[in-house]
Amino acid sequence: MSFDLMVIGAGPAGLSAAAEAASHGLKVAVFDENALPGGQLFKQIHKFFGSKEHKAKMRGIDIGIELLEETDSLGVKVFLNSPVVGLYKNREIVVRQKETVRHFKADSIIVATGASENLLPFDGWTLPGVMGAGAAQTMMNINRVKPGNRVLMLGSGNVGLVVGFQLLQAGCELVAIADAAPRIGGYGVHASKLTRTGVPFYLSHTIMRAEGRENVTGVVIGQVDENWQHIPDTEKHFEVDTICLAVGLSPSAQLLKMAGCKMSQNGTPVCDKSGETSLYNIFAAGDVSGIEEASSAMIEGRISAAAAAKKLGFISEKSFQKRSGELDAALSELRQGMFAPQNRNAPLEKTDEGFNISKSLLKKGYITEEEISEYPGFKPGAGIRPVIECTQNIPCDPCRDICPKGCIKVENIVSLPVYDENTNCTGCGLCVAACPGQAIFLTDDRPGKVEEGKVAITIPYEFLPLPEKVGPGMAYDRSGAPLCPAYVSKIQESAFLGKTPLVTFVVPKNMAMRARFWKAV
Amino acid sequence: MRIINHPILGEAAPRKNITFNFNGEEMTGFSGEPIAAALRANNIIIHRYTRKFHSPRGVFCAIGRCTDCVMIVNGRPNVRTCVTALEEGMTVTTQYGAGGGA
Ligand SMILES: Cc1cc2nc3c(=O)[nH]c(=O)nc-3n(C[C@H](O)[C@H](O)[C@H](O)COP(=O)(O)OP(=O)(O)OC[C@H]3O[C@@H](n4cnc5c(N)ncnc54)[C@H](O)[C@@H]3O)c2cc1C
Ligand code: SF4
Ligand code: SF4
Ligand code: FES
Repeated sequence: MSFDLMVIGAGPAGLSAAAEAASHGLKVAVFDENALPGGQLFKQIHKFFGSKEHKAKMRGIDIGIELLEETDSLGVKVFLNSPVVGLYKNREIVVRQKETVRHFKADSIIVATGASENLLPFDGWTLPGVMGAGAAQTMMNINRVKPGNRVLMLGSGNVGLVVGFQLLQAGCELVAIADAAPRIGGYGVHASKLTRTGVPFYLSHTIMRAEGRENVTGVVIGQVDENWQHIPDTEKHFEVDTICLAVGLSPSAQLLKMAGCKMSQNGTPVCDKSGETSLYNIFAAGDVSGIEEASSAMIEGRISAAAAAKKLGFISEKSFQKRSGELDAALSELRQGMFAPQNRNAPLEKTDEGFNISKSLLKKGYITEEEISEYPGFKPGAGIRPVIECTQNIPCDPCRDICPKGCIKVENIVSLPVYDENTNCTGCGLCVAACPGQAIFLTDDRPGKVEEGKVAITIPYEFLPLPEKVGPGMAYDRSGAPLCPAYVSKIQESAFLGKTPLVTFVVPKNMAMRARFWKAV
Repeated sequence: MRIINHPILGEAAPRKNITFNFNGEEMTGFSGEPIAAALRANNIIIHRYTRKFHSPRGVFCAIGRCTDCVMIVNGRPNVRTCVTALEEGMTVTTQYGAGGGA
């Protein structure tokens, strides 16, 4: 069998590359070692950041379904259970299928093999119950089995934060998130989703040991100083049956190395702008060429595929320039803001707009009341209105896009959202549900709708069971501390809300800017 | 340990219940799910013991990469249970060392 293009890896990068190439008329085959296509995407049950063109506010799993429909309709051939075990610079690959080994050849190859999770050796790390965060995600979101009952998450990057939240959604207890770094590595909004439910963060803490003889029964963490040295007598013990490691990913670049691609110091292949490696017509796209996101992986895949299409003469230089111009623009939008690859080690002090970045958010996972009040999304007042607690420059703007009344402004994709008080919010709740960071709340004290002296607060609530209407409960603040009794006045679920139910609860007016979560009592 | 209803993924689709044998004990699981998932649902998390130090191992990567989860399946040692589908009547046995026998 011969193909114009072979893609190794059916994750977001590989599938996007295949779809793009097939749309230009190339005969494409994709190989993946897994029994299911999609790579990481089908584990990502949360809504993605970005802009409309990056499929923002869609869940990874739904993006995966869409991508598969696209490759299907374009006639892309996908070989599953087909690990690629060899890659040669004459663009030949060796694939293991069942008990046999097959060779394939193509004019062009895109390697999109993704990344694998880093290990972290510590006392007891091989005990059953210690696992990668990705493993936990596979078990709960694909296999639908809880990885454990009580979990400690090690690592506060976006992976640790997202998987931590998904553990709660699966019904596990998350006892803490610990990280040796002095500040939370992932987005503040992801951290805050956890903190308000009561999950504590331990920054500048590292794991001392996992306890248990046959399997994990507990964990001990301890504080470290600026030089990562353990500070005596700071140990904290937790009873857990599971320890999840979210301590980074490394590119799975073995095939590229084997083929003889020039590699850089950090283990990624040296590539030109289109992802072409040092070997003619062999490209690398997605996490294998540098750890980023599914959103950027998908664009990188398309850029490489468009370049391959041009080199093989399927599209003209002119249409290539046009297409790659669009794709480059979309990619550079995503690579902005304080969490962008080039800013990874910069101190987080001020936003682009000059606001102070919350120290408490970086250390404890929640913003304090004093800190939040200076932000442009936070304008307490009468009537019904959104309160936007999004305080870091991240590439994201669905809140602006979805509001039918133009109440929310986001100047460029990484700017902080601004609530425009001269608009008429109807309280439709679309922004609350759409926000991937779950950082928007509604407050409502309209006379006639809400009792005198009270305020109704609407929050996104992606947990089960949903509260019962007029059910008694307790309101919690941003730090997860109980505030006051609160009853639920409304529960909204509809297709428009994209599986993010909205819960409205009623509290005394002076709690309007404090109550951010609700639990049944 | 089964997640019956999930806030985002909804209710679990009905799957075929089957029986399999773990270390001589009859257990139930779903046809086609990874063996490791069925074991976890039955609260089994130790899959093997290493040869030299006899230390226990369980699921670590869940995607077939690390080989921590290998067991003896239908008499064959070193089967990665996190990526091998469960079948009716399978025998699954804890592996000691290279799996040549306990
Ligand atoms: C917990 C978590 C949360 C995340 N959240 C987000 C988010 O909110 N937004 C976002 O944009 N990104 C997110 N990401 C990142 C995103 O998932 C990855 O960046 C993205 O999946 C990378 O895509 P990829 O196609 O390069 O690799 P992958 O998705 O890893 O796919 C690689 C594929 O290659 C296959 N493969 C590897 N080697 C071989 C071989 N030798 N032969 C055959 N097949 C092979 C693998 O089986 C796999 O299917 C998250 C990641 C994690 C872990
Ligand atoms: S509730 Fe509706 S109208 Fe009000 S800001 Fe949000 S999206 Fe706009
Ligand atoms: S408030 Fe707007 S910009 Fe911030 S995370 Fe939510 S949708 Fe994105
Ligand atoms: S858990 Fe890693 S191979 Fe099965």
